[in-house]
Amino acid sequence: MLRGKETVNTSENSRGMRRRALLKAGAAAGLLPLARPFVVSAWAEDTVKIGLDNPLTGVYAALGKNELIGCQLALEQINAKGGILGRQVELLVEDSTSGDAGTAVQKARKLIERDNVNFLLGNINSALAVAIAQVSNEKGVFHIVPGGHTDPVTGKDCHWNVFRVCNTTRMETNSISQVLFDKFGKKWYFLTPDYAFGHTLQEGFEAGLKKLGGTELGADLTPLGTTDFSPYLIKAQAASPDVIIFLQAGDDAVNALKQAVQFGLDKKFHIAGAQQELEVLEGLPPEARIGNWVFEWYWKQPGVAHLDEFVAAIRKTSGGKVPTARTWFGFTSTWSCALAAEAAKSLEPVKMAKAMQGLKLPPEVALMPNDPFYREGDNQLMPTLGMPSQRASRTPKTCSWSTSRSGASTRRCRSRTPGAR
Amino acid sequence: MTQLVLFNIFNGLIIGAFYALMALGLSLILNLSGVINFAHGGFLAIGAYIAYSLIPYVGFWGGLLLAPFLTAAIGIAVERVLIRRLYGRDPLYSLLLTFGLAFIFEDGTRYIWGAQSLPYQIPSWLQTSLSSELFFVTGYRVFMVLLVGVAVGALFVILNHTRLGIRIRAGTLDLETVSVLGVNVRILRNLNFGLGIYLAGLAGVLAAGMLGLQPTIGSSLLMPSFVAIIVGGLGSLPGTLLGGLLIGVASGLTTVFFPSASEAVIYVMMGLVLLIRPRGLLGEEGRF
Repeated sequence: MLRGKETVNTSENSRGMRRRALLKAGAAAGLLPLARPFVVSAWAEDTVKIGLDNPLTGVYAALGKNELIGCQLALEQINAKGGILGRQVELLVEDSTSGDAGTAVQKARKLIERDNVNFLLGNINSALAVAIAQVSNEKGVFHIVPGGHTDPVTGKDCHWNVFRVCNTTRMETNSISQVLFDKFGKKWYFLTPDYAFGHTLQEGFEAGLKKLGGTELGADLTPLGTTDFSPYLIKAQAASPDVIIFLQAGDDAVNALKQAVQFGLDKKFHIAGAQQELEVLEGLPPEARIGNWVFEWYWKQPGVAHLDEFVAAIRKTSGGKVPTARTWFGFTSTWSCALAAEAAKSLEPVKMAKAMQGLKLPPEVALMPNDPFYREGDNQLMPTLGMPSQRASRTPKTCSWSTSRSGASTRRCRSRTPGAR
Repeated sequence: MTQLVLFNIFNGLIIGAFYALMALGLSLILNLSGVINFAHGGFLAIGAYIAYSLIPYVGFWGGLLLAPFLTAAIGIAVERVLIRRLYGRDPLYSLLLTFGLAFIFEDGTRYIWGAQSLPYQIPSWLQTSLSSELFFVTGYRVFMVLLVGVAVGALFVILNHTRLGIRIRAGTLDLETVSVLGVNVRILRNLNFGLGIYLAGLAGVLAAGMLGLQPTIGSSLLMPSFVAIIVGGLGSLPGTLLGGLLIGVASGLTTVFFPSASEAVIYVMMGLVLLIRPRGLLGEEGRF
């Protein structure tokens, strides 16, 4: 073997210096996510501004990219139809990073204070969504969360100015708990991303499991951005559950599922979870596209008006790729800004918020059956959830859309629009 | 419980071997040129993406063979054009340069190949577990450990039995004297950098078969590699190898008892080593 003596080291630099430099470098690496500026589009005096504060780098970069594509399509359509209240609309984009609340908040403040945006959109990461909702609320800016699922956004941390397009975590777990329990067994093991999103998903499943009379054999929290899931998988298999519940999203989900299938765990246990997305399935080799999941939105829904036009328009801009739920989140959120302003006939946030409460999405924006609407009281969009009844096939072809509007948030929203009382 | 612990130690060794492969490349470059190569993770990602693009034409094995060489070629060019200019200066200059390169590489891969994870296919006979008891020992992971073994062995042979290797070791000890003796130090450093980047490219191709292929694949593996170097001892390649294995096992074991600390534990280990034995486990006294 190599002997230490042979590979010792000097150079023109002093020796103490180098170790210190390496340690400094380590500290600097911790700051890495902070140092990413992103291009802001041109500034114009009389435009209406929408600020998007969403991940473009890190674990959720692919999801963020698709939300951005959806926003851009909506923006084009809105401008083609004459803009918002007769003014053209521009989109300002900031990279919030995938997991750094400090950066996300700083970008939100920048969009609000320096760019004076009329609307704020974001964030995919639930924890960041909660964090920037505090900023938007403090500043009284109309804010839509396109794709951050944790319950508190429209539950206990709700605000009069914050609306949400995607489902709550509780809505997702409620729609699948029963099926998993009936079909695959009552002993569950959880692998949970260690932040707001994972925590509330797990709580949701636990509540469902308790009601159904099942047992939780264990739960492990995995840090956001985990690449190697093998130790967790070894632990999960040792517990021999009926179902292993994967609650990861984005690149974390890709890493976890790929390794689980390489270990053959899909042959011993049933693999399932709550939220599943096309971005994740596309990142997996075919044999790892398995399990039972909830799909929030799908690009093929028989008999839904305007869906084909939407799919065609997205395909044109994304090099032939079909829209995902994320694309729809971005699209619907951006359109909702325009709808709120038009309904209120004003860009006054309080007036827009009031107009938005109870607002039904028109079919060309909804792109799903049963007229989704923003529920008064917690500002949550109430859509329909799709759950492929069997394994998430390579490209899930058949989604049996359950039309239940299940699951209010556990702790109800206690917020009132200023002037509404 | 005992089984769980043993499994995790075994699994930790497998993961550790992988960290070691990456850390050895870093260590080579640091030892000879004094460059803390923050772009190492970026080179790893480039290796993985190049392999992904080559696979449709040359197959999995062709990709495995070619991609690390192409990555090394890029590394040699980067050293020649950028890094070489900073050798005479304070190491912080080259650190800042490679720090910037890390961003450029990550965003570059995102620009070229997209933010979307890519499905990297490995041959199906490598996919299966060797036994249902030791389910986590898949053919691919055995292959990976063997390859790490071969790479370490080859590195040993190169360093001890080739003219280039002997010069690299001599240069590590005293670069000025080597230069005075008529060795072209510029070329030596250039080739040494290429060798280090070759190992990064190889690690990248291997990682892509096991993990999802994402632009962040390198940056998430970079910090454990730095920790492996510090724990093992700066300047010592066997130390780096040991450090890699140790942090793999430590993080595996922590997962059994306190999973949410599995990431933090390697930094705690680094802190302890720096407090108790600042030169690292196998680092020589007074060297750093």
